Amino acid sequence: MIRLTTLPALCAAIPPLAAVGFCGAVLGVAAFGHTPTFWQGGPLTLAEAAALRDQGEVARLIEGGADPNAEYALRPDVLAVSRATPLEAAVLARRPEIVQLLMGEGAVVDEHSWRHLHCVAVEIGQDDVVDAIDAYRPTTAGTFSCTP
Amino acid sequence: MTVSAPRACAVVCAALMAGSLGYGLLRVPLQVQDSLPKIVEAGRSPGVWASFTSEIGTTDFRPLWMAESKVLFDLSRGHVHVAYKAFHIGLVLAAFGLFVAALRIETSVDLAASLFALSVFAGMNTFVGLVKEATPVNVYLPIVVFVLLAIHLSRGRGGLWMDIVAVLTFVAACLTLESGVLVWVALVAGRLAGRRGVSDRALVSVTVVMLVYLGVRFTLLPVDTQNASGYLAERLEPEQIRERFGAGLSRFTIYTVYASISSVLFSEPRDGTFVIVRAWQGGDIPPRIWINIVSSTLTTMLIAVAASRLWRRGSRDADGDRAAIRADLLIFGALLAASAVTSFAYAKDVIMSVAGACYAIVAFWAVRDHLIRARVGPAVVTTIVLLVASSLWAVRVVGVHHVLRTQAFAFHNDWPGLRNHLPDDPAARRLISTLRADALSRPVVNPWFVPRWADRVFDIDY
Repeated sequence: MIRLTTLPALCAAIPPLAAVGFCGAVLGVAAFGHTPTFWQGGPLTLAEAAALRDQGEVARLIEGGADPNAEYALRPDVLAVSRATPLEAAVLARRPEIVQLLMGEGAVVDEHSWRHLHCVAVEIGQDDVVDAIDAYRPTTAGTFSCTP
Repeated sequence: MTVSAPRACAVVCAALMAGSLGYGLLRVPLQVQDSLPKIVEAGRSPGVWASFTSEIGTTDFRPLWMAESKVLFDLSRGHVHVAYKAFHIGLVLAAFGLFVAALRIETSVDLAASLFALSVFAGMNTFVGLVKEATPVNVYLPIVVFVLLAIHLSRGRGGLWMDIVAVLTFVAACLTLESGVLVWVALVAGRLAGRRGVSDRALVSVTVVMLVYLGVRFTLLPVDTQNASGYLAERLEPEQIRERFGAGLSRFTIYTVYASISSVLFSEPRDGTFVIVRAWQGGDIPPRIWINIVSSTLTTMLIAVAASRLWRRGSRDADGDRAAIRADLLIFGALLAASAVTSFAYAKDVIMSVAGACYAIVAFWAVRDHLIRARVGPAVVTTIVLLVASSLWAVRVVGVHHVLRTQAFAFHNDWPGLRNHLPDDPAARRLISTLRADALSRPVVNPWFVPRWADRVFDIDY
């Protein structure tokens, strides 16, 4: 019969048992085919995935048919805007690697959209984001100023 | 053979811990860096022997590891992720099983001590590296399994088959990784401690094989030992290390040896870097650093006090236990020192994983000794120390799952960029494209969904 009658033994055993309980909960939920809470994320729109540097999700969504040039909703805690294209979200969130990924996955910038993104990047003031956007400068862009 | 209720309980707890880590491993996509080239190579290799001999003449002499990668690839029949992860999970289960088997669990006090030791085993900073990396098979975890097996063999009743298994274990360990020589250290330390499970003949055989191995490894094969490493509060690249300290034995070498020992006993430094100093310089020391240092320091103190008592007067236990405790302490000391020496070139916590596993074994004996003594008199300090230490270790165990969750996201993000960097070889292109699609289809947890306090409380990848 198992007995833990002394306080020191209980102090040594109970916290590890709590950890075992956590492990058991994870395994038990998984064994029934569900996702344990600890491993649950949530769905992201393409713009949210871009803002949250989720390269894998960006690629998965686009390769699954999502339009890399459309506008998507964003939750309030993600960015200060409620809707944005994935490229806008990547620039606003200061993610140059996401800009490159989106362009590689089929995002398109024309002269107008490039100027907009360039000016947003300049306003944010992060050089690597500006460089990432400028790498896709259309040949027709010409010189211009971002100040109104 | 009947299993006592306390041992059965400990086994169940270990199985739940190992099983949940196994689930976490399944959720982590295959690694790209250091792993994908080996998987592609396994796909290209004409056979297991070709893989086995492929690294002879290179700086990495790990033929068995390469052969394992090939065998698993061939057995996978296209389910590459499942095959490699299943092997990794199998090793984790074996490590936990051998660890629990190394503990003497017959009474409720033994059970309490074993639960504490389990949380140390799984929560150690040296353990994290055994689960968070797989390139495509974790190369250090087999060594932990082999050393734990060697410890069991030296405790056994002996016999020809035990001797054969001991020699084969050593050979397999050395063909997996250079740290495999720790199997010899465990066997010799076990003999010096009075264990007769492995005969003198077998020990001589293992020693001869080791000398041949060391001779071949370090004289006939090229050696490239310098990697990036932490030094005090900074991280240095190989060129910086050579520039500052030169090649060969230096202040840096001595530092990494002592740093490696300290990482096991006090959870600082981490991979050679004193992260607490770095955090203090940055103006913010997150709770996870204190959790790691306090839990390890308290446990080391418990071990030191118990060891000094045992060495001076013996414990309240029967003399048979005293011999077992002294043997495990000696083996731990030997493996701690030997592991630290093997990490002379650069400090990396996972290199000390064997010592970390043995640290958990001696923690079991220490806690058990303190609990037994706690019965006979006031033990307020012991109670408080045990409560604080075990609570913090429990947090560290959950933290290992957090590291896996974080790694899953990081590895997931490594795959998209490959689309524009596929090799010319059609078979390799098909393989990488398939692996990429599989990796991207596996759901991971974006850090945005993780509570902000988690990174401050649970350990991260330093």
